Amino acid sequence: MIIDVNAWTGPWPALVNVPHDAASVRASLREYGVERMFMAPLAAAWSANPHLCNRIVYEAADAYGDISPVPVIDPTLPTWPAELEKAAGHRAVRMIKLLPGYGGYDLAAADELFEEAGRANLASMVQIRIDDPRRHHPMAMVPDVPAGDVVEAAKRHPNLKLVIGGTSAVALRECAAHIRDLPGLYADTSQVDGVDGVEMLVEEGLGNKLLFGSHAPVFTPAAAIARVLIDLHEDTAVGILKENAAGLLGV
Amino acid sequence: MTLASLRQKLLPGGPALDIHVHPLNCFGSYGVSSPVEDAERLVATARRSGVTRMCVFSLYETTPYEPTPDQCRQANDYVLRMRDARPDAILPFCYVTPAFPDEAVAEIERCVGKHAMAGVKLWVARKATDPGLDPIMEAAVSKDAPVLQHAWLKTTGNLPGESTPFDVADLARRHPRARIIMAHLNGVGYRGIEAVADVPNVVVDTSGGDPESGLVEAAVRRLGPHRVVYGSDAPIRHFGVTMNKVLGADIPDADRRAILWDNALRILKLND
Repeated sequence: MIIDVNAWTGPWPALVNVPHDAASVRASLREYGVERMFMAPLAAAWSANPHLCNRIVYEAADAYGDISPVPVIDPTLPTWPAELEKAAGHRAVRMIKLLPGYGGYDLAAADELFEEAGRANLASMVQIRIDDPRRHHPMAMVPDVPAGDVVEAAKRHPNLKLVIGGTSAVALRECAAHIRDLPGLYADTSQVDGVDGVEMLVEEGLGNKLLFGSHAPVFTPAAAIARVLIDLHEDTAVGILKENAAGLLGV
Repeated sequence: MTLASLRQKLLPGGPALDIHVHPLNCFGSYGVSSPVEDAERLVATARRSGVTRMCVFSLYETTPYEPTPDQCRQANDYVLRMRDARPDAILPFCYVTPAFPDEAVAEIERCVGKHAMAGVKLWVARKATDPGLDPIMEAAVSKDAPVLQHAWLKTTGNLPGESTPFDVADLARRHPRARIIMAHLNGVGYRGIEAVADVPNVVVDTSGGDPESGLVEAAVRRLGPHRVVYGSDAPIRHFGVTMNKVLGADIPDADRRAILWDNALRILKLND
């Protein structure tokens, strides 16, 4: 069984003729052995109120038992406590997601949300990027969230389960010591690239802190699996593809 | 589905030729001590992803945007030594700079003419619209060698000498007998496909950027499967990630085979 901690559903402006409804994304992942997917709403990135976009992942979870909704919560909206409470009360929610790059806020603004998420035993993923800034639409450029900001948040919230989502191999190598040493800090593999990219992170001691993420439907599921499975021995691969996430998210 | 069967699904199931590879000493995170070690490590990691042969070009170990002719010569000597180590896998390309057209032509004569390199590589010293490229293209045509031209469309801004796909289209129209490989499908995107759609002597390689869904399919639909070739841009990108952009694309198996093998053989004028 493979657990995908970073799947999405919904429209994304840069995607052309790529099915993005929950059923299609689920089918594209199951084709490559993914049996549990943590799914967030892509439309939340560009919405003035991301909370309104969470409905589609709750509905997807109602329709499919292998989908866990990952609601996007914006700590700069006054309604975030209610949105968090809704997430915490849902049978299948294990993790929330923050999009500070698109929401235009600093992670310090999320400190109270992080505290409450930790109390509710919900993991929090901070998405560093959704797509390469060099390929952004010229009228819609969004800088990456510095991975170091997530590391600092992890230091401020030692009881929080925090996942760095969608960052590069280079950035992860720079943070490797912190990810290794901070017990609650994890990273996903969805944007790790380069020859032997995941293998090098394992050599940095991150084998038990990496979580498989596909970034589907924005990225091709086959490519996401390949970056983990091709280079690693089976035990290490299974840890990243399943066991680390199972332990973190209580699957 | 077992992990073993999943691993099989991620492999091409036949030979695959990667048309866009750099030595580890240019971009990799590995420190390699010699061209021989570079070749052995690169081939080993490529083979894990099912890549059987690869076109390799060095941009000199410090990858300067404005290389000197001597740096180009050293870069080319490096990949010649890599080929000596792994002639079964490595097809070297000759790196030249249009900033020095006369020296570039002489280097093509040395590398392609004398040492049978498989093609010519142009990077970011000058845009493809620059007249400094013209004698290089003429030399490549005279040697019957393809030219791989870097291209990107960066919202954040191209380098001063970095070609867009529109520049590549201009180059191809100036040199209709040249066989041009435009690099970086995922760097030029949908606008890049459109830029070269009506320029038949341009094919696009699948390298560059992230494994964004739908782009390989779009290139095949717009250009035809015979005008798309597999390229990884390793070691910047992972052989297997880029391979699976193609394997995971919603295209017919025959098109996949063309992209991974047949088209490269045709462009490089190699036998199976």
